[in-house]
Amino acid sequence: MLAHRRLVFAAIALLPLSIMPAGAQTGPAKGEPIYLGVSGPLTGPNAQYGAQWKQGFDLALDEINGSGGIKGRPLAYIFEDTQSDPRQSVAVAQKFVADKRIVAELGDFSSPASMAASPIYQRAKLVQFGFTNSHPDFTKGGDYMWSNSVSQADEQPLSAAFAVKRLGLKRIAVLHLNTDWGRTSKDIFVKAAKEYGAEVVATEGYLPDEKDFRSTIVRVRDAKPDGVMLISYYSDAALIARQLQQAGLKLPIVAASSVYSPKLIELGGDAVEGIFTASRYFPEDPRPEVRDFVAKFKAKYNKEPDAFNAYAYDTMILMAQVMRESGIDRQAIHDGLSKVKDVPSVIFGKATFDPKTRRVAGAMSVDLVVKDGKFTIYQGGPVVR
Amino acid sequence: MSAAPSLLEVRSLTRRFGGLTAVNSVDLDLAEGEFLSVIGPNGAGKTTLFNLITGHDDPDGGTVKFSGRDITRLPPEWLATLGIARTFQHGRVFANLSVMDNVLVGAHVRFKAVRPAWPSPLSLLGPFAEVALALIRPSSVVTEEKRMREEALRILARFGDRLLPRLDHPTYSLSYANRRRVEIGRALALGPKLLLLDEPTAGMNQTETAEMQTLIGDLKKSGLTILLIEHKLDMVMQLSDRVIVMDNGSVIANGKPAEVRNNPAVIEAYLGHRRSDKSEASVPEAAE
Amino acid sequence: MSSWFDYTVNGLIIGNIYALLAVGLALIFGVSRLINFAHGSVYVVGAYAGFLAVTQFGTPLPLTIVIVVAVGALLGLAIERFGLRPLQGYAHIAPLLATIGISFVLDQLVQLTFSPDPRALPSELLQKRFQIGSGTIGALDILIAAIGIGSAGLLYYFLRFTRLGWAVRATAQDRDAAQQMGVDVDAVNRTVFAIASALGAVSGLLVGMYYNYIDPSMSFQATLKGVVAQVVGGVGNVPGAIAGSMLLGLVESYGIALFGTSYRNLFAFILLIVVLVLRPNGLFASRRQTPPEPMTGTFIAPSKPVQISPRTLLAIALAAALLPLVLPNPYVLQTLTNAWLYGLLGLSLTLIAGTVGLISLGHAALLAIGGYASALLSLDLGMPVGLSILLAGVIAAALGTLLVFPSFRLRGHYLSIATLAIGEIVSLVILNWDSLTRGPIGVSGIPPLSLFGFELDTDRSVYWFALGVLVVLAALQFRLLRSHLGRTLRAMRDDDIAARSYGIGLDRYKALAFAVGSFAAGVSGGITAHLYSYINHETFNSQLSILALTIVILGGMGNVTGAILGSVLLVGLPEVFRVAAEYRVLIYGIVLLLLVRFRPQGLLGTV
Repeated sequence: MLAHRRLVFAAIALLPLSIMPAGAQTGPAKGEPIYLGVSGPLTGPNAQYGAQWKQGFDLALDEINGSGGIKGRPLAYIFEDTQSDPRQSVAVAQKFVADKRIVAELGDFSSPASMAASPIYQRAKLVQFGFTNSHPDFTKGGDYMWSNSVSQADEQPLSAAFAVKRLGLKRIAVLHLNTDWGRTSKDIFVKAAKEYGAEVVATEGYLPDEKDFRSTIVRVRDAKPDGVMLISYYSDAALIARQLQQAGLKLPIVAASSVYSPKLIELGGDAVEGIFTASRYFPEDPRPEVRDFVAKFKAKYNKEPDAFNAYAYDTMILMAQVMRESGIDRQAIHDGLSKVKDVPSVIFGKATFDPKTRRVAGAMSVDLVVKDGKFTIYQGGPVVR
Repeated sequence: MSAAPSLLEVRSLTRRFGGLTAVNSVDLDLAEGEFLSVIGPNGAGKTTLFNLITGHDDPDGGTVKFSGRDITRLPPEWLATLGIARTFQHGRVFANLSVMDNVLVGAHVRFKAVRPAWPSPLSLLGPFAEVALALIRPSSVVTEEKRMREEALRILARFGDRLLPRLDHPTYSLSYANRRRVEIGRALALGPKLLLLDEPTAGMNQTETAEMQTLIGDLKKSGLTILLIEHKLDMVMQLSDRVIVMDNGSVIANGKPAEVRNNPAVIEAYLGHRRSDKSEASVPEAAE
Repeated sequence: MSSWFDYTVNGLIIGNIYALLAVGLALIFGVSRLINFAHGSVYVVGAYAGFLAVTQFGTPLPLTIVIVVAVGALLGLAIERFGLRPLQGYAHIAPLLATIGISFVLDQLVQLTFSPDPRALPSELLQKRFQIGSGTIGALDILIAAIGIGSAGLLYYFLRFTRLGWAVRATAQDRDAAQQMGVDVDAVNRTVFAIASALGAVSGLLVGMYYNYIDPSMSFQATLKGVVAQVVGGVGNVPGAIAGSMLLGLVESYGIALFGTSYRNLFAFILLIVVLVLRPNGLFASRRQTPPEPMTGTFIAPSKPVQISPRTLLAIALAAALLPLVLPNPYVLQTLTNAWLYGLLGLSLTLIAGTVGLISLGHAALLAIGGYASALLSLDLGMPVGLSILLAGVIAAALGTLLVFPSFRLRGHYLSIATLAIGEIVSLVILNWDSLTRGPIGVSGIPPLSLFGFELDTDRSVYWFALGVLVVLAALQFRLLRSHLGRTLRAMRDDDIAARSYGIGLDRYKALAFAVGSFAAGVSGGITAHLYSYINHETFNSQLSILALTIVILGGMGNVTGAILGSVLLVGLPEVFRVAAEYRVLIYGIVLLLLVRFRPQGLLGTV
């Protein structure tokens, strides 16, 4: 469990601890590293996500720097902890902006922290690449705000199609995180589900630190749904699934792809058995970039990757590609993002930006079900008649 | 009773704490310019009586009249504006305030320039006006402050050189006796019509007590109406026009010092309590 | 209706969990008059100790409980010995702050050791379930209830029938008297901390098993709910804490039943406010009491403030104004801009908490009100930004004063808890009032700062603007403190009973000070909103309230210069500690503890 921390200490002693030239151990990339700034949580309530990012980044850097880096120079990142707190993310933004070594910025994690820093990046013409920022307004902050986060406008209709068309749910109860992400997702999901002909009989928003869902479940039960949709992260999804089981409510559960994590099964145990979800990638996926990613991740960290690992990995690969094609200064990266085409991506298969929305469309999707404590591809049909 | 019109008129005042009656149907009259002392063993209900008169506690029954006006259950901040000032048994100075500021707070109700007396609907704006005046400080405010400071100096001069050299010292740094003096100075700054002193010499040595006694004597001479709680009987006998003795919440004797001193019921109350110290300890201090 | 039966059972089950936390908090408050903000951290440590035992050594449940009890008790002893005992005789505010520091340190240590990832904490007991109503209750529910009731019973026995228990009760009633009568108050404190922390640790373990879920960040919520439950029941009252917990659980459950899940905490905190206002000593408190007469101000550390001449202050302000010309580093300027904005918050709280003595734990709500007011005024009504910020201050002053007004009759800790609840209520209302605030989506596209039509679009101009507002408001506050009002407000803080005797109407002056103070906070929130361009209900979260209080205490209560210095340090230090990466919050916590220990009156002293 301490593996990723030891890595920090393995970093070259002369550099501050937070700088991790991952190409330093091996690899032919030599010379002055090219730095990306990462603004994200390493401490505080969201620290787990920052830790997952690091794993994804480091894996990608091994690969990039092992094969020559960017035009021979190693790629590295400087991770500044913001606790996902806007007060700190704006200070970090200024720090990155002023640091001429930084060619682009990745993050922050939460919308308040990311979007508070946007005006600073926009003014300084430094790309802010919010790779987990699904907030619909994030890229509206300016032409230097880019994101390869899966748009909920893309994802939720797929979830709705899975739930309604494939699984045959007709009366759906939606439980969603009451955050900007959860709320946006819920609105899109409900609209899509209705278009596909299902009825949404209950929607319940809950706070991120909620642990007790018993009474919510009574409300859900009283609405007499034939299935439950969870717009949750894996930790709350596991809690809800367990409490649904304890309440004796045996309903098909569909969950947003954000629950795709080995942690869901660890935390949920047999209660998450039979949960339907979707994923942008899947270990048995025949796509080479997925096979490659999963295998390398397992080799390096001895565990299955999850969605945040994949986002971080994809982002690093994408940035490397942009720099290889367009150059390694700030403006070149900004221009390159709109030009880059079909970058191999775990999430998208091939990632290409729409220069107008500065987002990537067309995320891959595999319908999954948890079976015997493992995510497996769902091959069945309707579960409700 | 005294023939002069009553400044303070207490009738059947009663206060119970749970099963204990701390003040039991007490009657009390105080004429203008009179000096009345309340004595009695610990836990007799003296301080509770003070708290009821000054609005710090609400009675379960009875009335209090001041200058003919019913003041029962009025809050203490109203009573201050009527000219009732008090000191506290264990001393309650404003610890972080300087000696001077303590005395000036005593004069709070007399600051008029900073609190315009506007009629009812406008008076809601009073607090805003007060902030504005405190920030802008027109000459009326400045003059008033200056006048009050001068008066405070005169009051503090009554204590000789006990307090004058320490005007800017925060009162937490003062000796116990000096803090009691500050309290009395603060009470005088109110320009009281009635002064209630709760054990002003508690914790003082003989010299300090004598000094305090002289001061209180001077106040009496100046015509101030005073209600005193005190354990030091010598002082009570010398200063008082009249003495009330309380025991177990009730008045058991009332009269001239000499009469009270020889009243058998009083002697019994004091001695009786001395014999059964244990039961006295069970009277809760919370009732004070 | 059978659903109501289910809601009731669910309310009692969750109340059961709150009770485990509340009992420990109540014990500590009863004896030490201290809200132990580290209690939730002990709970987290307990959960992880159990996790380690179960996953590494495969201990059976009874043994796990024994281990966790031992760990909790030892931790409690350590907290008491090294964190709190050295602060004996300090003003009450010092230990309160120390528990906050300890909580930072413990949470960070757990996170550094076990990683921030959530973990599963399996329990064999969970499989057994019994049908009740249309749901089931598990063996673990029964175990939690049994441990809750059992520990309450044991506590009752201990308090009633043992000599140490007698000493604990005596100390709780009157600490000084107990000491005079030969009670070893230190031993009592040790005992209470050991028992309470053991209980806290076990609750962490049980709750972790119950949800099969533990993570290092669950401590704040645990403390919060425990505090609410015990205050509802009557602070320091153990049976009351249990009853209060059950009531809290029921109210939450019925709140969900009636209005939906996102209103859950709203109900919890409204319950708290209602109870506090109607029954300030809690629902189950026995009798009304007149507070003991203090010899000196007891909550605020008395001290001589460090004298800084106006000329020096002017020179510092001038130097600050010239800084962008000398050192045009945007990172430094941004950090200082943040410091100025938090300085405004500090000014606000140092007036309200320091000068008047209303220790507010919900001050972030004023930032939120100001931020939303200015954002919505400029965005929805097209008001010029300078004006909207000014109005934001006014709205924060009016709304803030109105919201706390009913709580003015509360004293000391009770007021603090009420403000904590008001802070949470404001945040939840913002979250749920979609039509005005846009709910969780937040307000984006807030226009940038501008003044009289000139856009402040450089780091320098924003820096100067924030500094200018700070200097003006600080100067006004200085002037206010030097007026009769400063004297009046400080008198009220030092002794409200004596102040009333001299004609100071408490409500009037508390409201007046709160309004003046809230204005600065509202302006700070307004400027922040335009600076960030996006805010939602999490932008001004409850951690900010704690930060604000830390700023004020660090600088010295009531000390205007101190509030600004405190803000520069508390905004600056985490930036300085950046090189320490994951360790910086830990270092910050330790620095905070050292400060409380060696300079409890704050760097520049109480005014």
